[in-house]
Amino acid sequence: MKKRSVKILAILMSVLLMAGLLAACADETAAPPAGGGGNSDNSGSGGGGSNERIELVFSLWGDPAEQETTQRALDVYNDSQDKVYVKALQIGRDEYNEKLQTMATSGEMPDCGMVAEDTVIGWARDGLLSDFDIYAGQDNLPLDYITFKYEGKVVAYSAANEVLALWFNKQIFDDAGIPYPPATLDDAWTWDEFIEVARKLTIDSDGRNPGDDGFDKNNIVQYGAGINTYTWQLEVWALSNGGKFFSSDGKSVAMDDATIEAIQKVADLHLVENIAPFNDGTADAGFDLTIGRGNVAMGTDGQWATGFRAFVDIDYGVGVLPYMKHKANICTGGPTGIFATTDYPNEAADFLRWYNSEENNINTILDGWWMPTKMNWYTDEALLEQWIDGSDFRKPLGDAYRTAILDVALDFGVTKSTAWYYTPNTYEVLVGTLQPALVEAFQGGKTVKEVVDASRDAMQAALDKR
Amino acid sequence: MGKSDKKKAYSRNASKEQRAAYLFLIPAFLGLSLITYIPLLATFIMSFFNMNVGHFVKNSTLPPPQFVGLANFIDIFTNPSIDFLNSIKVTIYFALLAVAGSIIYSLFIAMLLNRTMPARGFFRAIFYVPYILPAAAVMISWWFLLQYDGGLINYILVRLGLEKSYFLANSSTAIPSLAVIAIWTSGNLIVIFLAGLQNVPRVYHEAADIDGATALQRFWNITIPCMTPIIFYNLLLSLVVNLQVVVPALAVTKGGPGKSTMFMSYLMYQTGFRGRELGKAGAIAFIFFIVAAIFAFILFATSKSWIFYEGKDDRK
Repeated sequence: MKKRSVKILAILMSVLLMAGLLAACADETAAPPAGGGGNSDNSGSGGGGSNERIELVFSLWGDPAEQETTQRALDVYNDSQDKVYVKALQIGRDEYNEKLQTMATSGEMPDCGMVAEDTVIGWARDGLLSDFDIYAGQDNLPLDYITFKYEGKVVAYSAANEVLALWFNKQIFDDAGIPYPPATLDDAWTWDEFIEVARKLTIDSDGRNPGDDGFDKNNIVQYGAGINTYTWQLEVWALSNGGKFFSSDGKSVAMDDATIEAIQKVADLHLVENIAPFNDGTADAGFDLTIGRGNVAMGTDGQWATGFRAFVDIDYGVGVLPYMKHKANICTGGPTGIFATTDYPNEAADFLRWYNSEENNINTILDGWWMPTKMNWYTDEALLEQWIDGSDFRKPLGDAYRTAILDVALDFGVTKSTAWYYTPNTYEVLVGTLQPALVEAFQGGKTVKEVVDASRDAMQAALDKR
Repeated sequence: MGKSDKKKAYSRNASKEQRAAYLFLIPAFLGLSLITYIPLLATFIMSFFNMNVGHFVKNSTLPPPQFVGLANFIDIFTNPSIDFLNSIKVTIYFALLAVAGSIIYSLFIAMLLNRTMPARGFFRAIFYVPYILPAAAVMISWWFLLQYDGGLINYILVRLGLEKSYFLANSSTAIPSLAVIAIWTSGNLIVIFLAGLQNVPRVYHEAADIDGATALQRFWNITIPCMTPIIFYNLLLSLVVNLQVVVPALAVTKGGPGKSTMFMSYLMYQTGFRGRELGKAGAIAFIFFIVAAIFAFILFATSKSWIFYEGKDDRK
């Protein structure tokens, strides 16, 4: 009896394990989509709730505040019709690409979702993105410079538009009796003027400025400036100095002398001028590492910094970027795409068109995170009043928002597409290769020329890989 | 019952027990096969194909994967954007520093904690806690401590009149800095050493004491030989863990500065999960396995010459 029970136990354990494994391998999406969707907390009223309602999974990243805003938009969409229910799959930004690519290896990607800018072209080329053009046959298209193209074909559209700006801590300027940075392109500071002001605002623990006798660079209590040194943002300085990261067809790494000189100038703000805190460039956190610290007078970051007002107790303003040789800016915006695995490309396209429209994402725009993507939102005064004057986060920036952000975004001679709109593998080239190499240049162990030249072949190989 | 009947009955019982044993082994065998050996084999096979994440995607426009022979193995060593040889070097450098440091540090701390002292339990817990903290949280905390501006360590250096250091942002100090963090988190080794120390026969120490041996002589000639099996176990454990290092690169250094912390595991992750090149990631995984196996083999092969087992001579 005892031996028999031992045997039964062993058989039971084997069966249970097999059952568990089979259950784990089962295709969750094989079940027909149910009406009302599966996210009961966020499903709203569920519209019609027909059993034939298609469930679309929409993946996204963002901090909790952004995710909440997005969920509110999804609830509106789900309530507005009864054919499709969109369920949010929220993934942390740091593991977003890895998670989706892992899902891809099991053939289970979401239907549609946000896509990281630096992987869009690579995903399109490697077949992870559907080539379904969500705006095919439409008139009111997103701005051309925030449209991702591979081999001449549109592969994704940004859901937002962003340009870079110079943010400043008003209190620090007021205390020093120095006028705020210029807010119009016409008055933009040259690089030297920018350094000169930053020098006056940098003080050590004895109140001395860089250049004064006895200035102690090891005891700086307030910095004049900080540049976001995350690699994609460095492209603006390359353009400003007459250089470029990539050839215009996106097929070869340029990283010319002007680019190297521009990045060295940025590194020298800390190393030589002693006016900027050390920033190794491994985090895209320009605002956090400057204005957010409270002891840095100026810092560069994207338009999205408008929304940080909700999280910091610092009164900050906005101005235009300084320039080296040419006034320059770059634009970007998180794109959305339809994943190749979806069975519902038409429904996903309908949803993304709805989701990407300003009317339906107005909260994200009003909260300061996004700017609109369609031209009529930049030219129609009623719409401008709605998203600029009607935003509690833009109002404190005053007229400077329109001149330092809006006018810059509309100046297509000054503002260009970030390289990832036309270049594949920018993650591998810029984040995987250039960024770790530049850390040594930012801390002064090597020059920018040394690290760029040493990484040139690796960058080209990373760009060429398929 | 005759002798042969007894033998038959014994054999029947034994075979019944064997059957039960096999039945019990089936779940573990299935689990191990499905989540370890089959994926391992699949990875090995994949390393001979130009496999991309896109090949798994339904409706993908990618052409089917092709057999490429040893091309992936050649590419991971010759492609400058992968540079696997560098990853092998930095991983071994890190592992040697971390293993040597962890063994010395944890043995030293274990010997201190083995003494009769007030609040011994408290101190044992204090040294063990770093091991149970989440690895990513530990790395980020150390990253804050090692910051150039506002980092506690640099603050102390400046107060002492010394120059600030970039620590993790400098290619020559990044690996030693990470090794120090690895050593700090080796609380598990301390616990194992403590257990071993308590098994060193007191009588040896007492005899040596009577013979006038110094503390250093007792340590070198009694404690260390008696501890060699434990040292071997900790060496193996620490080696395996540190060769697989990935958290510092994932959480903080991203493989930099330069490629100074591009550990094998991180390169494999980057190639497969960021670069989508599963074939090349498979080739990295396979070579990685061989490197780890070589180190383990060396450790086992040399162990006979330096491990002292009490009563070893009585064994057959």
